[in-house]
Amino acid sequence: MNRPPSALYNPAPRELVLKDLLARSRSRLDRLSNAKLAELLEDALYTERKRLQRSKNADAQAHLDILARALVRGTRADQMNAAMDLVRDWADEIHGKFDPRTYRFATRILPKALTGLLAGRPHRMSDLAPDRRLRVEGPVDVIADLCSEGTVVLAPTHVSNLDSPLIGLALHLAGLPPFVYGAGLNLFSNPFMGFFLSRLGAYTVDRRKSAQLYKDVLKDYSVRAMVTGHHSLFFPGGTRARSGRVEASVKKGLLGTGIVAWQEMLEAGHDKPDVYVVPLTLSFQLTLEAATLIGDHLEDSGKQRFIIDDDEFAQPRRLAAFARRVLDLDASVVARFGDPVDCLGNPVSHDPIERKQQSIDRQRYVCDADGTVQRDEQRDRVYTDRLADTLVKAYPRGITAMSTHVAAWVAWRMLEERLDTKDEFRVVRMPALSRRFSRAAFLERLEGVLKRIRTDVQNGEYDADLPVTARGALEQAIDRFTSYHRSKAIAEHGDDLVVEDTKLLLYYRNRLAHLELETP
Amino acid sequence: MKIGILGGGHWGQALARLVMAAGNEPLIAYRDKKDKPPHILPSTKDAPSVSASCDLLLVATSANQVQAAIEMAEPHPGNRVVVAGRGIDADTGRWLCDVVREHSPVLRVGTLAGPAPVKEILNGGLCAGVVASPFQEVRDMVQIALHSSRYRLYGSSDMTGVQLSSAAVPPLAALVGVTTSLGGAGVGMHAMVIARGIAEYSRLATALGGDASSLAGLAGVGDLVAAQGQPGHRSFEVGKELLSKKRRTTASEPGPIRIARALVKTAEAAGVNIPLTQALVAMADGLDPLEAVQALMGRQAQDE
Repeated sequence: MNRPPSALYNPAPRELVLKDLLARSRSRLDRLSNAKLAELLEDALYTERKRLQRSKNADAQAHLDILARALVRGTRADQMNAAMDLVRDWADEIHGKFDPRTYRFATRILPKALTGLLAGRPHRMSDLAPDRRLRVEGPVDVIADLCSEGTVVLAPTHVSNLDSPLIGLALHLAGLPPFVYGAGLNLFSNPFMGFFLSRLGAYTVDRRKSAQLYKDVLKDYSVRAMVTGHHSLFFPGGTRARSGRVEASVKKGLLGTGIVAWQEMLEAGHDKPDVYVVPLTLSFQLTLEAATLIGDHLEDSGKQRFIIDDDEFAQPRRLAAFARRVLDLDASVVARFGDPVDCLGNPVSHDPIERKQQSIDRQRYVCDADGTVQRDEQRDRVYTDRLADTLVKAYPRGITAMSTHVAAWVAWRMLEERLDTKDEFRVVRMPALSRRFSRAAFLERLEGVLKRIRTDVQNGEYDADLPVTARGALEQAIDRFTSYHRSKAIAEHGDDLVVEDTKLLLYYRNRLAHLELETP
Repeated sequence: MKIGILGGGHWGQALARLVMAAGNEPLIAYRDKKDKPPHILPSTKDAPSVSASCDLLLVATSANQVQAAIEMAEPHPGNRVVVAGRGIDADTGRWLCDVVREHSPVLRVGTLAGPAPVKEILNGGLCAGVVASPFQEVRDMVQIALHSSRYRLYGSSDMTGVQLSSAAVPPLAALVGVTTSLGGAGVGMHAMVIARGIAEYSRLATALGGDASSLAGLAGVGDLVAAQGQPGHRSFEVGKELLSKKRRTTASEPGPIRIARALVKTAEAAGVNIPLTQALVAMADGLDPLEAVQALMGRQAQDE
């Protein structure tokens, strides 16, 4: 397969990358007044001291001590040097241990390995066909063209830690080039993933580091990656959706680096300066970490953990069970690419000639009449807000409604009606005896909902992958719920159906929570 | 700086005067002979040439002509377009800045609002306004274009709140018109309508993602006070007419009522109750004003 280009095929020497990152930070810090510089460094010192309270990392502590001394009695030059020490450490960590040899090996082996994993227990040769397990949909040909015409940023919804390897496989199946990816440090809790991620062009994002100085280095890395021809992948939601809902808001930090990279390329007279953003919605029949995620969502917001490092993903046995029982199912995962937009959120034409004109016209959003780029961070923030709104509107259109989601939606609605409440905490705590309903009543409701979904799908509002009959959908949902989770969202008890685990039910229902599937 | 003005009517001419007072050069794009400004003001019928030669375009047409003006001017992505109008197209219920974005490639838009009595401006009177846009550069450009010793222009990032404030003034002024003519109603009722009217639009502003405090600014209270200070103001007269029980057909319905209908729909969609405006619409549909007042006053007590 002839894949579009990616700079990942020819990685720059590590020293060159680090030198560039240091130069970018120095240039930014040089522009700050003494007071602003001190403010930024005090923030870095405070947040890093707090983070490292129990750490024995002597080098990091030593750098912070030097920074503290520079802030108390040093000159501006001392402060700059101390800051650059921190930036050097962070740049080194962010760039990871990229190894071209491992990369070449892995790009040959991993797709096959993942295909095998998805096939679970193959009964026949066709079971090994990866596209039977992972369905890839959307304007893939257009995205492939965009990868040749400019830089592409992939912006997926975030459901599970398995998203990134599955997206990697989806890119492979779609004939798209590899993307660089900002992987959270917690992903490295799984040794297999950790080994490969750090050597596969994934850069490291440590969400525990909250200093603005660190975030700026991270953004510099992202800009540099795009400017040097790397297609990039961010999860704009920032973290896995704890509730199971489709992202209703996104973070704008890394997302905003697209417009910066585009302007930098325009200034440099780059022949392919355009940056395109492609939304991607992932739909899973079952989610590996559903129980942990929904538990965390229902915790007091004060206690909510931003970073989870002890979930099912970090337990090799659970991961293996998931692979065996869930990914073994036909089309259990759907990756749907949305229509591409530019880095300001404008639609991008599917016609190459029209795209060329769009590329020229687009420059006027940031250039003056003479074609000179006018840098304006405030303006770019508003453009990025627009891009974020565009993505948030695109995600729900990309979902694929599956039997587990639909059955959970109906069961949840029936529980709500029984309590006459929309308060999810009350429904979650509903006594077990009240969570039983007749199969016939359930099927009647499900039939109506399926009818509504078919209309919505015909109208292009979203997609669905469902058995034709309500009975079939219910049987499939119960089969799926029984196959992996320790407790069942919905189970059969004679002629009745019982909601055994309301939290799991809420999680799967939430995938369609934004839809009104019944006439009130 | 050369400033493009779309629309050669009285409001376009007043804006051109303000542009000149601020030391800039206006260029008016007019539609036809009827719309053509006096020779003293630079003007052309070639609207696209105005977009090509001016970075900043001020739209000074009536709300239902904004779309046509934009389509005629064919602005490019480098233009900044600021609508100097009533915020909303009463016929379609669309916000005017959205009309600009939907019918052109322009992203950098803004709205100009506030008390702007055209006659006073044309006669050199002093006044003030507010330009709202999420883009700082648009606010800066409009301030450079218009701010002078005779027109004080403030900036705001709350485009939603300022557009709504501007749209809310005609219905509120019509309601004040009703209270000034209603037998038995005094200054107490007059004050109540203004204060509670501002309160109901503040709720709506918040629900639409805007800033409630914009209602208390030049675009809201400022404009309402200016309307109240003009004897025979059109919106007051509309309110007074409601008492005369002369029914009108929908086609000839006056602007404040059409705006009120559009705002009631917007509020319903946002799940916000705007009882005074609903009452105005009900009166326009034939409800006796006394009954409307009794219904409003008969509601349960609540916190302010």
